[in-house]
Amino acid sequence: MDNSRPNLLEEALVEDVIGSVKTQKRGRVVVVEDCVETSAAFVLHHFLKRSLQPDSSDVVVFIAFAHPFSHYERILRKMGCNLAVQRKNQRFLFLDMLMLECPDRNGGEAKDDGLLTLYGEIEKAVEIYSSLEGSRTITIMIDDVSLMEVAANGSSNHVLDFLHYCYTLKAKYGCSLVTLNHEDIYSSANTLPLILQLEYLADVIIKAEPLATGLASDVHGQECKDDYAVLPAKNIMAKLWEHRCNRPKFGF
Amino acid sequence: MAETISRALRDGAFEGEHAPALSIKDTIHTPLGSFVFNHILTQLTSNILAGKSQSRGVVLVALTRPPSFYAELLKNKGFDISLSSKWLRVLDCYSDPLGWKNKLMERGTVRNPYEETLLKTSLCKNLKELDKVLSSIVELGKEIVEEGKGRFAVAIDSVSEILRHSSLPSVARILSHLRSHDQVSCIFCLLHVDLHEAKVAATLEYLSTMHADVEPIVQRTNGQRSASEDLPMVEQCFKRGKFHVRFKRRNGRVRVMREELYVEGSSIKFKEISSEDGMTAQSLVPKVQFNLELSEKERLDRAKVVLPFEHQGTGRPIQIYDGRKSLNESEIEQQQASVEKPQTTEDSGRGEIIYFRDSDDEMPDSDEDPDDDLDI
Amino acid sequence: MASSRPRGSSFSRNISSAATSQIPGVKLGPNGTSFLSSGIPDLDQILGGGFTLGSLVMVMEDPEAPHHMLLLRNFMSQGLVHKQPLLYASPERDPRGFLGTLPSPMASKDEKPHERQKPHERPTEQDSNLRIAWQYKKYLGEQNSEVQRGGKAEYCNDFDVRKPLERHFYSGQRVDCISLRDSPNLVPVLERCSAFSSQISKSDSNITCAGRIAIQSLCSPQCDFSDKEWDMLSFIRSLKGMVRSSGAVAVISFPPSLVSPTFLKRWQHLADTLISVKAIPDEDKELAKLLTGYQDMLGLLSVHKVARMNTQVPAILEATTFSMKLRKRRALILECLNQAPVDGSSGSSYGTSSSCSGSSKTGNLDF
Repeated sequence: MDNSRPNLLEEALVEDVIGSVKTQKRGRVVVVEDCVETSAAFVLHHFLKRSLQPDSSDVVVFIAFAHPFSHYERILRKMGCNLAVQRKNQRFLFLDMLMLECPDRNGGEAKDDGLLTLYGEIEKAVEIYSSLEGSRTITIMIDDVSLMEVAANGSSNHVLDFLHYCYTLKAKYGCSLVTLNHEDIYSSANTLPLILQLEYLADVIIKAEPLATGLASDVHGQECKDDYAVLPAKNIMAKLWEHRCNRPKFGF
Repeated sequence: MAETISRALRDGAFEGEHAPALSIKDTIHTPLGSFVFNHILTQLTSNILAGKSQSRGVVLVALTRPPSFYAELLKNKGFDISLSSKWLRVLDCYSDPLGWKNKLMERGTVRNPYEETLLKTSLCKNLKELDKVLSSIVELGKEIVEEGKGRFAVAIDSVSEILRHSSLPSVARILSHLRSHDQVSCIFCLLHVDLHEAKVAATLEYLSTMHADVEPIVQRTNGQRSASEDLPMVEQCFKRGKFHVRFKRRNGRVRVMREELYVEGSSIKFKEISSEDGMTAQSLVPKVQFNLELSEKERLDRAKVVLPFEHQGTGRPIQIYDGRKSLNESEIEQQQASVEKPQTTEDSGRGEIIYFRDSDDEMPDSDEDPDDDLDI
Repeated sequence: MASSRPRGSSFSRNISSAATSQIPGVKLGPNGTSFLSSGIPDLDQILGGGFTLGSLVMVMEDPEAPHHMLLLRNFMSQGLVHKQPLLYASPERDPRGFLGTLPSPMASKDEKPHERQKPHERPTEQDSNLRIAWQYKKYLGEQNSEVQRGGKAEYCNDFDVRKPLERHFYSGQRVDCISLRDSPNLVPVLERCSAFSSQISKSDSNITCAGRIAIQSLCSPQCDFSDKEWDMLSFIRSLKGMVRSSGAVAVISFPPSLVSPTFLKRWQHLADTLISVKAIPDEDKELAKLLTGYQDMLGLLSVHKVARMNTQVPAILEATTFSMKLRKRRALILECLNQAPVDGSSGSSYGTSSSCSGSSKTGNLDF
């Protein structure tokens, strides 16, 4: 991959500190949305690779509801990044939530709350990582929110509570938060609040949609990025580009 | 217009009346409500610091943004944060609204989960108990005003977040209680309308004296979620919006104002809309634009109008021209000429229909017979 | 898919000869994945080798045609032929009876169909499902002249939909049947699935045995839990997690019209491989003109999603919709849809040639 030329995806995670007086690391909240026809999982892989580049010391906490570790490991290996090694180096924390069940539907007041425990694990890790020497950005990634909703047995409020707590880590530790969700699930009015709430709180929204002209083997869809309401608010951009991945690499 | 709002909030409550309340509403199409909220917060703050306002300080209920966000916001606007304890209290419902962090700290999973800010904050660990939230708001307000008499303002940075944890009636009860509290000078709050049912927005409108809507520049026709096809429009919607305010005035009138707002740097600017659309006039006044009744003068004027052919009947039997030369044609012609003269002289007294033909291409007037084939 | 296959092929073939000798019916694919055959050679080819081991395959049923049963039957039969453990769940009262309707592999040369069917073995409800296959009995005229294949178990067999599987295939093996109607919720089914997949769990990429789970009409209305959408969703998610960590493939068929739209989307997102079957209108003159080979078509099959495991390269199929036909009235084949040229039908169009080569190719693949 050509790293010298920043592309839209690269810009999404890095906070360009224009208006701020003090240059400090500040995370961003990125919401990635896709649909059945076009998966946006590659955006997560891309961010993962970027964060784990050898010349930085950034840390990723990955909460996987969709795939086991081996899946990500294979993909990232092809992209030139060894997750197993990063795991040993304390730069990659993988939380396998494939079988997580938190069946209490009525609020999160149960004694043994799965999401609370999960949050505890995340915060603990973040606390430890941020206490280490050197400046690093901690990125929390969730793949994907709709499955977390299933794990919470349909209580979207519970999921939102969890995500809210993840956002608080952004305030305290400057974490970035990347979440993947499926837009086409939330089409009816009573399911809409979850994705809207995510969008309200997001700094950057990335959407993957199939091209109107259908799929071709080298162009797999278009993406739009809506970047808004960042702190301090900056110029808002929305750009469109085509994402090609005819090889297991990306070119933009 | 934004000034009008700020002025109303600055002037605060009148003796024996409820405090003015502003609700700011936006949707995901134009999510600029928080910008408006921040704008009004800073305006009010500068009024407080200048001593112009009724309220002595602000109690900020932070639900969607951390206190550190507001610390930075105020600092960037040039306020002295270190002295903020005199005029600002933050009720921090952001950091730990459900007490998770507290629980984790007790369990020993994490050590110090809370963020430190320069602002004077008070932590709310259970957002579900709204009565406690209410009493801590009042308590914080009393801390600011100290000696019994002064008033304070309350800012809630998103009612949507409270509504996620509590029912609408309980939220409404809190708001109305705050409005009627005799130490509250004004309230303003933010609501993301599309997260809730229509009833929620209506309730909030009912409870507030002003409501400001941030609307997209172009109304979306289908109401669907945005597709990337109209990206330029999406971009516009994130930058600019219509600002639509309705004031319930004390004299019972409603003042409607429209402005355009646009994002500039970290703040927003307001701009007059040049073309005023008479939306309200149309909706209030009946749609008919005709006078169905005639005034006395109009009736008299109408009576004076001489319709075509009517002059023929001046004193004589009416003869309709039938295309043939009648026997006494010339005689009548002479008489007609004599009749026409007095007509012109008393013109001022008579009604008259003057009409112009638009062009010669037009169809001839109805009393003509261009083909000469009518058997009149 | 087409682009990823050639690259992986030289790599996978070497190991596959070694690995498949240990586990019958498992073929190694690219990116460290393995395939199980779907029981339909053409479908295997379309999907790039078969169903990926550890994947969840969802089949969207047509409300009017039982084509999903064809897919399920072939999938199950293939597993039984390979002596793989099988778990079958259906909303019928007696799911075991369904085993009697499974098709038999064609390659068998020595066994004569001495017992064509045992009426007492097949419950009456199954008969209606079979009708689509059995109605071709009346066309039976020509003698079957299949290519005889070697005696050893092949990766993928052609199945004769008219000939029931011999009993010994499913009497001695680990075949587990559950009725979805037995309990008011999905907990017992999930427990059985969990027990099943723990039997065949793979230890760290070393697959000892491959298993198949087939669930028919998951949300059919006669089940008590059919209105508990979150429960079903959570069941699918758990099943997916189990299957993923074990060496099994789960195929779930469901009628999409009975699932509410948002949940339908969720189900589709959960599926690794998503297939839908559709009926085609009978004696439709328009279609008959438009599509060559309309007369022989049973229905249409569309592939919406292909399992992408250990890779992020999306599978772009050359065609997504295929027609289902019975070759020689017996073996299920899939063909690319091809629209007839203006003058009518011509024998040597692209679709027919590709299907011929497709089926012959799968025959030649000797894994």
